[in-house]
Amino acid sequence: MALVVLLGGLVALAAAAPLLGRALGRTSCLVLAGGLAAATALVAALVPGVVAGRDVVASTPWLPSLGVDAALRLDGVALVFVLVALVVGVLVLAYCARYLDDAEAAGPVPAVLVLFAAAMCGLVMADDLVLLYVCWEITTVCSFVLVSTAGAPATAPGRQALVVTVAGGLALLLAVVLVVVATGSTSVHALVSDPDRLLSSPLAGPVAALVVVAAATKSAQLPFQAWLPGAMVAMTPVSAYLHAATMVKAGVYLLVRTSAVFAGQPAWTAVLVSLGLTTALVGAVLALREHDLKGVLAYSTVSQLGLLVAAVGVGTPEALAAALLHTVAHALFKATLFMLVGIVDHETGSRDVRDLAGLRRVMPWTAAATGVAALSLGGVPPLLGFVSKEYLYEGFLTAGPAAWAGPVAVGVAVLASTLTLAYAARVAHGAFGGEELSHPGLHEPSPLFLAPGAVAALACAVLGPAVSWLSPLVEAATSAALPGEEAPEVYLWHGVTPQLVLSGVTLALGALLFVRRDAVDRVLQAWSPPSASAAFERGHAGLLRLGEVVGRPDRAGGAPAQLARLLVAVVVVAALAAVGLGPQPERLVSEDPVAWGVVVLAAGVLAAAALTRSSLVLVALGGTTGLLVAVWLLLRGALDVAITLLLVEVLTAVVLVLVLRGQPRRLPRTSARRALPVAATAAATGLAAGGAAWALTGRRPLSDVGAQVLAEAEPLTGGTNVVNVVLVDLRGLDTFLETVVVGVVALGLVVLGRGPAGRRTGPPGPDPVTEDLVLRVGTRLLAPLMVVLGAYLLWRGHDEPGGGFIAALVLGTAVALGHLAGGRAPFARTPRALRPSLLVGGGLLVALGTGLVPLLGGGALLAPFDLPLLGALGVTSALVFDVGVLLLVLGLAVAAVHSLDAGVPDAGRADEQRRATRPHRDADGEAGDDDGDGERDDARVRGTAGGRR
Amino acid sequence: MSPALVLVAVVFVLVATGVYLVLERSLTRVLVGVILMSNGINVLFLVASGAAGEPALVGSAEPARMSDPLPQAMVLTAIVITLGLTAFLLAMAYRSWQLHGHDEVQDDVEDRQVRGRAVRDETSGSYDPDDEEAPVEERSEDRRRAHASPSPRDRSPGDGPRRAAQRREEGP
Repeated sequence: MALVVLLGGLVALAAAAPLLGRALGRTSCLVLAGGLAAATALVAALVPGVVAGRDVVASTPWLPSLGVDAALRLDGVALVFVLVALVVGVLVLAYCARYLDDAEAAGPVPAVLVLFAAAMCGLVMADDLVLLYVCWEITTVCSFVLVSTAGAPATAPGRQALVVTVAGGLALLLAVVLVVVATGSTSVHALVSDPDRLLSSPLAGPVAALVVVAAATKSAQLPFQAWLPGAMVAMTPVSAYLHAATMVKAGVYLLVRTSAVFAGQPAWTAVLVSLGLTTALVGAVLALREHDLKGVLAYSTVSQLGLLVAAVGVGTPEALAAALLHTVAHALFKATLFMLVGIVDHETGSRDVRDLAGLRRVMPWTAAATGVAALSLGGVPPLLGFVSKEYLYEGFLTAGPAAWAGPVAVGVAVLASTLTLAYAARVAHGAFGGEELSHPGLHEPSPLFLAPGAVAALACAVLGPAVSWLSPLVEAATSAALPGEEAPEVYLWHGVTPQLVLSGVTLALGALLFVRRDAVDRVLQAWSPPSASAAFERGHAGLLRLGEVVGRPDRAGGAPAQLARLLVAVVVVAALAAVGLGPQPERLVSEDPVAWGVVVLAAGVLAAAALTRSSLVLVALGGTTGLLVAVWLLLRGALDVAITLLLVEVLTAVVLVLVLRGQPRRLPRTSARRALPVAATAAATGLAAGGAAWALTGRRPLSDVGAQVLAEAEPLTGGTNVVNVVLVDLRGLDTFLETVVVGVVALGLVVLGRGPAGRRTGPPGPDPVTEDLVLRVGTRLLAPLMVVLGAYLLWRGHDEPGGGFIAALVLGTAVALGHLAGGRAPFARTPRALRPSLLVGGGLLVALGTGLVPLLGGGALLAPFDLPLLGALGVTSALVFDVGVLLLVLGLAVAAVHSLDAGVPDAGRADEQRRATRPHRDADGEAGDDDGDGERDDARVRGTAGGRR
Repeated sequence: MSPALVLVAVVFVLVATGVYLVLERSLTRVLVGVILMSNGINVLFLVASGAAGEPALVGSAEPARMSDPLPQAMVLTAIVITLGLTAFLLAMAYRSWQLHGHDEVQDDVEDRQVRGRAVRDETSGSYDPDDEEAPVEERSEDRRRAHASPSPRDRSPGDGPRRAAQRREEGP
């Protein structure tokens, strides 16, 4: 419960952060720091129990079908990392209260920092591999967002950091999948408490390799180290928190956590120790070469993480304890150094050691705090960094498996630490040492600005001698990381030991390097290491080129080229299916000479359609075949479908004619060059479809579902028209979603119809009020009849052929005819009550409302129910639902008619006139045109046209 | 049950003609092509779904002799969706005609340029790195609107000179 409160509280705090920032300005960061402090107190209250070996757990099923739980477990290892994340979080957010300005505090940075703290706590407390992976990726995303706030300079480094760490995340995901495959469980606890389950599987090796890759990317180990110095473009609090103290430790955490399984495996030790120590050495050299203070610290982080990885790799309890202790020490002194360097940067505007000098005289307290932290980094006694480094040496001395491994490892570690001392001294001396003052007129930062860094520096100083205070934590963590092993106690003074001698050597050599810093600098500057970032960019560019090559076929310009690929795919699938289906069973083939006549007729019609250059002929011929199909449907017993298709063809034809009135009737000539391949594609696709019809016909009798529907339609719903029952009752949700699509199209048409009129729609055509007497009179007679017919078809739809779709099409055709006839015909102008938006909205409300009512009574969505009073009249809930369907489909028809009516060939002129009369009307007014407005315009246009004539 | 060769031929003819028209550049042809193709596919679907029979109206015939209502409901749905698709295509053809004077689908030249820029990792000319609040296109649009006279409608792409010429032609 406490863990849920912890995480929930942190997420809520993150959500509240932007509001707080807007209300309080940068002071809000203090509130956030207070929130994190409260979280820290909550965790502190759990410390005694955890140290005594009683893990705090919380778990709830998350994806039960996969056996994945949202499980949290606060054990010794998690406790160390949670405390580091929260304590450093408190310091960094308090620091933000002075580092950020008010606008930045209201921006994303504080919120994402808190969110990151939550994700980091979730990551280390996760007791489920899937949850662990999710939190891992959240920290990656938080890091990317925070780096990106630096703006344009952050583009390339941010991308690099994201690509590298996400690649590592994918490796982790793969490792999780393999673990699940090997052990059948996603529980972290189960994994670490029974290592043999994974180790006995052949997948253990790949899992270990993937875990190492994931950790190496996150913790910036060679060869993935380049992203971390790049990420220094982020603002200082971000660098201090994510890229020094916490997020980059996630890799170390992962290694510590999996040590229970892999520790002691020779390959694991060999890989991690050599990887870590190489990184430590290279990082230290690169750090010493840097002049940018943040750059020094970034490479220092790379180097120190290398030491940690190597120590974890050694895998003995002593080495793991040393790694955990050094994790704490590093978080404290590195966060301090970043925050103090940030102050220097903030005050002087420079971070280059060559520009800075003598600042100790104007900022004595800042200088003192920096000095303490730098000495801790350098491993000078009796600071915490010294103690943890002693333990690291001790751990490396125990390194196996070969006898020479320990001495070699410790030798490299000493060398890296020597360089560490040299660059640590350079950080402190570079900015604050020296005789002449580089930036006169500065003064000590405000106490609140300095306090977080100073507090952390003080902790470095105090926790060195008092390291035994940390001992219970480290012991609990070590025994949690390596169950069944004896955890060593940590304390300051061990007497004269080999590691003390090594520390002495480190200090002496480091001091020497510092004293001879000019010579060292000359040597290092003469050497130019290959740029890892450039290598990354080259690889990245190569990858993009590969993607370009792979994706090129999909980028063909123009719709026909795109479509052709799909069609070819259809043909290929059909060919494969033909092979897969095997030989066809013997079947009688029905032959009917009369029917063949119809086919020949249809083929002729279609050939003419394909070749004609007259759009009206094309529409007429296309419609003819639709009618033929409708007749076939009728003969086949598909009454509702036949009626629907018939009406759709009529409506389409009427609307097309509406549109084509204003368009040229000649279609462009088909280029002869393209005709052949197009015809070949068409023939192949047609063959595929015809072949499917041949192969699939007669293979199945009446389906079980069909039989059931036929048998139960009436008892269940009271309707006898089974097709309609399927539509409005049995598959009501399907129908509802479909009509939603129709409604969306209707609204799209409305929007399309509102765009700028642009060029005139054609040569001045005939008067929009048609001269066709037959059409006009016919429409005036037919339209009322069609409305009545539509209502009747709707009402009887449940029992006889009819229903909402069909009724809507009848009504839509009436509206379209009215538009076509013009003049004083009914529906010549869209009545306000039939505005498409109104119809669509109303239809949605009616259909959805009918669907939702049964939920109130505890029934299922869209279940039929009885209507009081109306039920006696034969009005069922299905009918009401069908009314919703009707409104939506009618909305589409009216929208099409209304926005496509080209009977006003002078739409452009109307606009011109409007501009002339209302010159100040701007784009907003145009965009705000509603349908009513459009109607007035229509009326005016009609008047104008008449006047001109 | 016997597959009627006639229907196979109908499906072939409808789909082949539909595809032939869909691969054209004129949206009017594409439109009719889509209608033909969907008719062909609907026929295929119904043919494959079972034997013909009496209308599925309870009480009008033996249930065993009725045609399967489920595929019919699906085809009905498909017809209405095709209607929506047709309407949308039609609206696009109409707008294309209004704006450009023809209804042909052009190759997307702009898309190719954008792609080229992405490959070269360049930003577009209208990109303003100092101001990242709003998408740049929108703001430059606003700016243009502010200066446009008499109305932004004249600024539809590639339209200005032609319109002006037209006004001259119309005369007083």
